Amino acid sequence: MSSVAGEQLAGVPVAPGADPTPTTSVPGVPGASGVPLARRRGFPAGVPGARLLTGRLPSLVMIAVLVLLTALALLAPVLVPYDPVQPVGVPYAPVGDPQHLLGTDMIGRDLLSRTLLGMRTSWLLALVVVAVGLVVGGVVGVAAGAFGGVVDSVLMRVTDMFLALPSMLVAVAVAAALGPGLTNTFLAISVVWWPYYARIVRGEVRSLAVRPHVEAARMAGAGQLRVMTRHLVPGVVPTAVITASLDIGAVVLTLASLSFLGLGQPAPAPELGADTSRGMSELLAHWWIPVVPGLAVMLLSLVANLGGDAVRNLMARRG
Amino acid sequence: MARLRFIAGRLAALAVLLLVLSLVLFVLQEVSDADPVASTLGANASQEAREAARERMGLNDPAPERYLDYVGGLVTGDLGTSFRTRHPVADDIGTYLPATLELVLGALLVALVLAVAFAVSSVLRWRGAGLVRGLLFLGSTTPTFLLGILGLMLFYRDLGWLPASGRLSDRGAVDGPTGLVVLDALLAGQPAVAVDALQHLLLPALALAVGPALSIGRVLRSGLVTTLDADFVRTARAKGLTERRVLARHVMRNSVNGALSMTGLQLGFMFAGALVIESVFSWPGLGSYLGASIPVSDFPAIAGVTFVLGAIYIASNTVADVLQGAADPRIAL
Repeated sequence: MSSVAGEQLAGVPVAPGADPTPTTSVPGVPGASGVPLARRRGFPAGVPGARLLTGRLPSLVMIAVLVLLTALALLAPVLVPYDPVQPVGVPYAPVGDPQHLLGTDMIGRDLLSRTLLGMRTSWLLALVVVAVGLVVGGVVGVAAGAFGGVVDSVLMRVTDMFLALPSMLVAVAVAAALGPGLTNTFLAISVVWWPYYARIVRGEVRSLAVRPHVEAARMAGAGQLRVMTRHLVPGVVPTAVITASLDIGAVVLTLASLSFLGLGQPAPAPELGADTSRGMSELLAHWWIPVVPGLAVMLLSLVANLGGDAVRNLMARRG
Repeated sequence: MARLRFIAGRLAALAVLLLVLSLVLFVLQEVSDADPVASTLGANASQEAREAARERMGLNDPAPERYLDYVGGLVTGDLGTSFRTRHPVADDIGTYLPATLELVLGALLVALVLAVAFAVSSVLRWRGAGLVRGLLFLGSTTPTFLLGILGLMLFYRDLGWLPASGRLSDRGAVDGPTGLVVLDALLAGQPAVAVDALQHLLLPALALAVGPALSIGRVLRSGLVTTLDADFVRTARAKGLTERRVLARHVMRNSVNGALSMTGLQLGFMFAGALVIESVFSWPGLGSYLGASIPVSDFPAIAGVTFVLGAIYIASNTVADVLQGAADPRIAL
């Protein structure tokens, strides 16, 4: 959830059966466009970007781009041409300078190096936030859905409370209270990110729990644990993975906003949001200083969204 | 009766959520290393003076008691004292809130217009719908601050159509009861000032509106699609109503439900986005206040802003719920 800043970008597919009526919205789930997954399979055009990606090949290409981006992020420290925190050239070299492809900033640091390392941080952190949110929300959701009754009520009340709080604002307060730093930014976003997954997973589990194959397993004498691990969790995975992959772009944007507000890593570290913010005073005379890191955020979020669409298309096709 | 009970339930939920929010902020205050004593007395104060101040401020009380004090303060409008400005945080927020409200309300208006344009144009299979959708999609993957920056480069630097910063060209040109400059200027009978204020508002509001517009428009669109299939729409058409009337009287009313609750949710993102966009446009609102508070770890100020904006967000979601009930009687049952 983003917005801005944490704008919720991508429609979160909703578990078929999570809602018995074909309604138009999922209260409490920002970004959920409420079109049931089953319907989406028939009409992939319901999602922006999907029209570009109707065939199988474009989806595979997008997945390849995702993998490439992740590889780039992992290898960035080896790939960058210059030290990102030291001045390595004349200040204010423009974009296209033969020594510095994306120019240099006001003290002569190489913007390509800074931006690549900033992208690395944003991308890897976004992946970790989504993965952690998925695991925490998944455990809560499976527990609530599988046990039902009091466990369900209590867990879902707590989840709903988190969902009803303004997530981005809470993330700002958490980051501000804990102080600057990568771990604290991660904590701030993770605290507000898991509830969506808990809701979605719980709905999916509830609808799976009454399916014939699960009932059959129960009849055959499978215990609660076995039903959960062998029959419920595997059934939830596709929906959860689709939801999460559509969410990465939103996490990237939220991270960038926090960093822009000064809640990321402290000063010399290359960070996209903070670099944009610090470059703002140069906008009129040397536009590339704030625009290059800003465009890098956009690139990450665009790839994440198109990649998320691709993951959904491929998985929906297979499922 | 059922309607009243529904509203009472929503209000109770509102109160619980405000308590939870206050608890979250209280816990954060506890874990943060912000020290109100050091910031009021300075770092060189003697041990005794500090201890006396701790006792006077109630910092030695047990945590539950301090939490009750904190909630009591919130209820009476006491948000603590800012470490930085040394003013009560509530006063500071009173100064900066109207600017943020004006920005967010402006953005909300723009977002609703864009959302309806997107939803209706795509349902009517208008040719430009794909373009609208594509632009909104691109806009919503763009960080808010970059939208602001690109807008500044185009409309201020290159075209010179719109101003770059602040709320008015002539600061203090208008002073009125609402704090919303556009309204105040109109009330004071100064249309030129109102136009000036609108010009200042347009770019930041647009930057803030694009992302939410897509989310709201998507929900509205899927609502419209679902409703257009409904039997009562076929009936309305069959009895010879014009397509325009069918859309306006029958389809819209039954489709706005999801869009309403999405609007409530997006308002939260807009407040958060406003914090960012304000620093791009030097908009003198809570974002600028927060921006000055963050580097010096002024936690009372940060918590105060979070609480006030959070409360507005929670309240507006409650309003959206109640409105939904009004738009669709089935909700209350």
